[in-house]
Amino acid sequence: MTSMDTVRQVHPAAKMYAREFKQGQMSRREFLARTTALGMTASAAYVLGGLGQPAQAAGHAQRGGTIRLQSEVRAHKDTRTYDWTQMAYVTHGTLEYLIEYNNDGSFRPMLLEGWEVNDDATEFTLKVRQGVTWNNGDAFTAEDVARNITRWTDSTVEGNSMAARMASLADDETGQAADGAITVVDEHTVVLKTKRPDITLIPGMADYPAPVVHSSYDPNADLSELVGTGPMQVVQNEVGVKAVLEKSGHPWWGDEALEGGGWFIDRLEIIDYGQDPAAWIAAAESEEVDVFYETVGDFIDIMDAIGWQKSDVATGSTIVIRPNQLAEDENGNKIYGDKRVRQALAMAVDNAVCLELGYADRGLVADNCHVGPVHPEYDDSVTRLPHDPAKALQLMEEAGMADFEHELQSIDDDWRKNTTDAVAAQLRDAGINVRRTILPGSTFWNDWTKYAFSSTNWNHRPLGTQVLALAYKSGVAWNEFGFANDEFDTLLAEANSIADVDARREVMGKLQAILIDEGVTIQPYWRSLYRHSAPNIQGADAHIAYLPQAYKWSLSA
Amino acid sequence: MGMFILRRVGVMLLTALCLTFLVFYLTNLYPNLEKLAKTQGNFRMSDEAVASWLEKGGYLQPTPVKYAEWLGVVPSYRFEAEDGTVTGRCILPGMEASEAPRYCGILQGYWGWSTVFRDPVSEIISTRLALTGKLMLWVMLLMVPGALIIGVLAGMREGSPLDRSLSTFSITTTATPEYVSGVLFIAVFASSAVGLKWFKGTATSAMENATFENFFLPVLTIALYGMGYIARMTRASMAEVMTAQYIRTARLKGVSFPNIVLKHALRNALIAPFTVIMLQFPWLLNGVVIVETLFNYKGFGWTLVQAAGNNDIELLLGVSVVSVIVVLVTQLISDIGYVYLNPRISVT
Amino acid sequence: MEDLTWTGSLGTFLDPLLFVLVPLFALAVVARILLSFFEPDTGTQANPDGTLVATGGIWSLSARIMTWLGAALVVLVLLYVVLGVVMGTGAGILGGISQRLTPVWIALIVTFWVSIHFKRRLGLYGKLFDSTIGMIGFGLVMFWVFVAVFTGLFDWIATHDALSQVSGMKNKGPGIPLRGAEQGEYPYYLLGGDNLARDVFSRVIKGSTIVIAIAPLATLFAFMVGITLGLPAGYYGGKLDTLLSFLANLILAFPVILLFYLLVTPEIVLTGLPQYMGVVLFAFPLIFFGVLIQSRFRTQPEKNSLWLAIVLIPLFLAYMSLINEDGSKISFWPLDFFDINAGILVVFVSVVFVNSPTVFRIVRGLAMDIKTRDYVAAAQTRGERPWYIMLWEILPNARGPLIVDFCLRIGYTTILLGTLGFFGLGLPPESPDWGSTINEGRKLLSIYLHPALPPAIALLSLVLGLNLLADGLREESLRD
Repeated sequence: MTSMDTVRQVHPAAKMYAREFKQGQMSRREFLARTTALGMTASAAYVLGGLGQPAQAAGHAQRGGTIRLQSEVRAHKDTRTYDWTQMAYVTHGTLEYLIEYNNDGSFRPMLLEGWEVNDDATEFTLKVRQGVTWNNGDAFTAEDVARNITRWTDSTVEGNSMAARMASLADDETGQAADGAITVVDEHTVVLKTKRPDITLIPGMADYPAPVVHSSYDPNADLSELVGTGPMQVVQNEVGVKAVLEKSGHPWWGDEALEGGGWFIDRLEIIDYGQDPAAWIAAAESEEVDVFYETVGDFIDIMDAIGWQKSDVATGSTIVIRPNQLAEDENGNKIYGDKRVRQALAMAVDNAVCLELGYADRGLVADNCHVGPVHPEYDDSVTRLPHDPAKALQLMEEAGMADFEHELQSIDDDWRKNTTDAVAAQLRDAGINVRRTILPGSTFWNDWTKYAFSSTNWNHRPLGTQVLALAYKSGVAWNEFGFANDEFDTLLAEANSIADVDARREVMGKLQAILIDEGVTIQPYWRSLYRHSAPNIQGADAHIAYLPQAYKWSLSA
Repeated sequence: MGMFILRRVGVMLLTALCLTFLVFYLTNLYPNLEKLAKTQGNFRMSDEAVASWLEKGGYLQPTPVKYAEWLGVVPSYRFEAEDGTVTGRCILPGMEASEAPRYCGILQGYWGWSTVFRDPVSEIISTRLALTGKLMLWVMLLMVPGALIIGVLAGMREGSPLDRSLSTFSITTTATPEYVSGVLFIAVFASSAVGLKWFKGTATSAMENATFENFFLPVLTIALYGMGYIARMTRASMAEVMTAQYIRTARLKGVSFPNIVLKHALRNALIAPFTVIMLQFPWLLNGVVIVETLFNYKGFGWTLVQAAGNNDIELLLGVSVVSVIVVLVTQLISDIGYVYLNPRISVT
Repeated sequence: MEDLTWTGSLGTFLDPLLFVLVPLFALAVVARILLSFFEPDTGTQANPDGTLVATGGIWSLSARIMTWLGAALVVLVLLYVVLGVVMGTGAGILGGISQRLTPVWIALIVTFWVSIHFKRRLGLYGKLFDSTIGMIGFGLVMFWVFVAVFTGLFDWIATHDALSQVSGMKNKGPGIPLRGAEQGEYPYYLLGGDNLARDVFSRVIKGSTIVIAIAPLATLFAFMVGITLGLPAGYYGGKLDTLLSFLANLILAFPVILLFYLLVTPEIVLTGLPQYMGVVLFAFPLIFFGVLIQSRFRTQPEKNSLWLAIVLIPLFLAYMSLINEDGSKISFWPLDFFDINAGILVVFVSVVFVNSPTVFRIVRGLAMDIKTRDYVAAAQTRGERPWYIMLWEILPNARGPLIVDFCLRIGYTTILLGTLGFFGLGLPPESPDWGSTINEGRKLLSIYLHPALPPAIALLSLVLGLNLLADGLREESLRD
């Protein structure tokens, strides 16, 4: 049981959700995501919703042993600038998180004991877990939490993606945390005041660039000297080759605080087999690894055939094949400035074909608006522009772009490339000229937001508004669409302040409609994610947002 | 002989200088620098940010100056930021600017810092080269005797069925590049589709603990492609020797056939293949890169791919220096060896 | 529709024969090899009167059995092909393929018939038809040449488009009927569908066009460069030779793969470097032909100008079009007839660049050897100019080894192109060229063999053919 197992003060919205959930207006996932985001513990939410507790398989896991994970090993950089979940895998045994997001959509307090949110989601009271120490002996206090949140809010740091998640705490002028936004009340309490209602703050803190670092943290220092609250230390971090995490001897607070404990293994080896899944299969067949970071595409069948256990989770992970509205041709004309051109691209493509050819039907067809059934506020009455290649060509001709050759770029990797190829083929079938360019993984990400027409994969995010805020809001760092729309921004801000999911759905419907009508992107399908692990591994399930949770893993006898 | 070697070494150094400058020039072209800045700093950098990053790293100096710094003949670049902190290529992480030497180049034994792996270049290259050395050792042990035996057997009786079969075999192996044979081997011997699973389809664990199971396929893949060529050279040389006057004489004297082959023909027949084997080294590097990529063996070839793919300038330079030296040294050895083995040739 | 089997209705009576013949033949070959170890010294010997004497007994018996079994196998294979042409998919996948290849078969038969008929008048080329190895090699090479030509020019052989994807055909095995085939569409994917539901057969066929177009052309350019520089280096010697040899050795000391990684990247293409290299390398054919004609007709100015104009003007126009490209670093020439894709250009330039020094070394060596011959001395005393001697005396006499090397080098270039495809450098990734297709197919190799094997076998057979052809040529030219 978590220490916050009594529902002290049930948030009014949470009661409302419970009612809706029991009436069948809300799915189990939505219910858990909504209520836990409001500060309720998962177990309390289960009680409130009248749900049975999920089985805790880890309860009788045996301790000891080594697990070898196949995953890329990337160079470490400042935690808040992490742009790969794989980076977090190396440090997550040492640098831990305040809050954890789980596959059932719930948020579990980790270095926090819990949190409370006021009615309009503008004031957050964070309760810091007591009895946690850093592995250098310092006590973990509210000061540490406040310092980390301040770090995250600093948008002047190049590439700090946490700043977008913490934007409601920031002062727009300085790009730093606003005065009074973060207050240390006592040794175990931090109060956050946002300048506008923000329901995404808590999910933001559970994301992978949000590990909690010590005041002595230096991104350039050797990783073996990393000071953290976790029981592991990084003993080796050879980029592109191998990283090793080993028990450091520092006791883990979670063994007492969390039901069933964790960090059963003594050693986690992360071995890099490159980006080619064929090499991963070879590694699995040679018994050189125990767990995959992720299994993709056709390789899922192969891994099933080898006899590994499959774990899958339905997600909001997806791919967008998008024109960049700011992209210019050599004459300085905006290639995709005309709405008709963008609509034509979307209308020429049958999303179901993309799903079949690109991802072997392992997912759900989507409607080009980057909000879907996994998100609580999704409005399913808003649908895509109809698939109509003839109309598409006509629009293209009207826009005077009939003879233009579009250059469609993608990364050189299985499903992303295949999906993009499928799009290119359908555009050609519709009579639109397309040239395909495939860039190797080492160069693709250099310019990913700037390509005129390219595909990008997006990870799952718990709430529909989150990804919209990260990628579609005007001028944000990851807005690869070059999309800037005042009406959209206003509606998005409005949606972010509505705690009630039904009320929010109305706004979300409008947001979806704008994205679809503007032809912002082709977003063909939602992926299910898969992870395979060797038969003797327990608890290494696929995570809905790829978050590292190796503390749950163990070897069976 | 001494003069000859001295002159060759001189040419070798000149070649190495020219080549490294070429690599230096290519990797320092602006688009490449821009790519470097973006992978190292942040992939969303603006053009000004790229320029200031490059300025800070000293990348915007004229190429000859940078090259001289890399060689260690001029003091290396230092950048003083507004807050007074000094950075430069001689100042390694965790080192004070005042302690750092002024010159740091090849002449001082400093090979630079890898931007991808965040390690000193010399360290990376020595580790990776040792791994590739292990691979090459086994390749040689398989390839050279195999090729010589095939070549001698084929060449001792030109036109015999044995000759025809072995020649067909060696032509086929030279016509099968590593990326074809490697793929076929993995499919047949390591995959679940065929189901033999005699070997492992990856050699990653062979880096620490090489066994027959995890190391044979990569070794075989490289060896086969080179084997055919050497075998054909040996065959041609052997066939030529077998028609020589002194062999005929020996035959007429009634020396038994095995004796003729072993005692009379072999030594002379092996002169040509020796040169060929030595000259094969540079070509083997090609195979090493393909095979290390295919089998995920993180040796020298793999490092080359990583360094080139990420425009890791100093690592790439280190890699080129080593490979150029390997090529030139093998050429030198082959020349000297040729002279020693062949009494009819003198170097003067 | 049902899936096609490999041999269809032919299978019922031809397959059992095949299954008996193949092991028997293999057995015979092994037995023959083993026996040959103990064969008395004679072997087959020619008597002074022109008759042949072969070793008798078990050895001649084994040789005869092998010959007969081999012949029977060849007849059987021909049966598959011929019946396939007649019956089409009725004779299964092989039949279908054989029928699609009908124009190639006809062209091959005509070529061979004509060549063998007139072989006494065809010089070295005709001699090729005295060597079995050479004929096999020539057959393999011409097979792919004809496939490439008929596909490239007339779009004959391939059954589908190389890039179009058909829903439901992803990773389907060979002989699968096309889902939702319409009137006029070929109703099968003969060799199955690849990972993107494209027709494997058509991709291999179309890929041949790319390989056959680039590899020999790039080799030819490399030869022009190598010859134009190698002849004077070998003929004059001295400082010129030292300098050129040093430069050639410089490039040769470069590991090929490193050079490719340095040259064939989008960043380098951006700097326009490959184009500048192209400007230099592509100028060599012009120089070569210019000097060739000039040295020959120097004394006949009218003829000289005429020939120079006929040859050089089209070459010059092609050269200017080649190096000029809209929107790149070099774009000043108004008469830009065609644009070459920057990716292909950089691949082409790199391959020429890598091959030239080796050709240079060979030509230089040959020139040094041949310049000591009597006929060169005779020409020198006649007062011929150096370039005349080099191009019209030395070069023709060096043609034997050069032709042999040319064949080998095309094979090597094909392998290099594949290597580039394997590393994803240069050619566009969805291009059906064999290197890229093999790289694509290898990823799923552990479950689907059919997308990777056909291009691998195609590449292997072409390179093997070129090697055999070179072998045959070498054998025949040595016999001179």
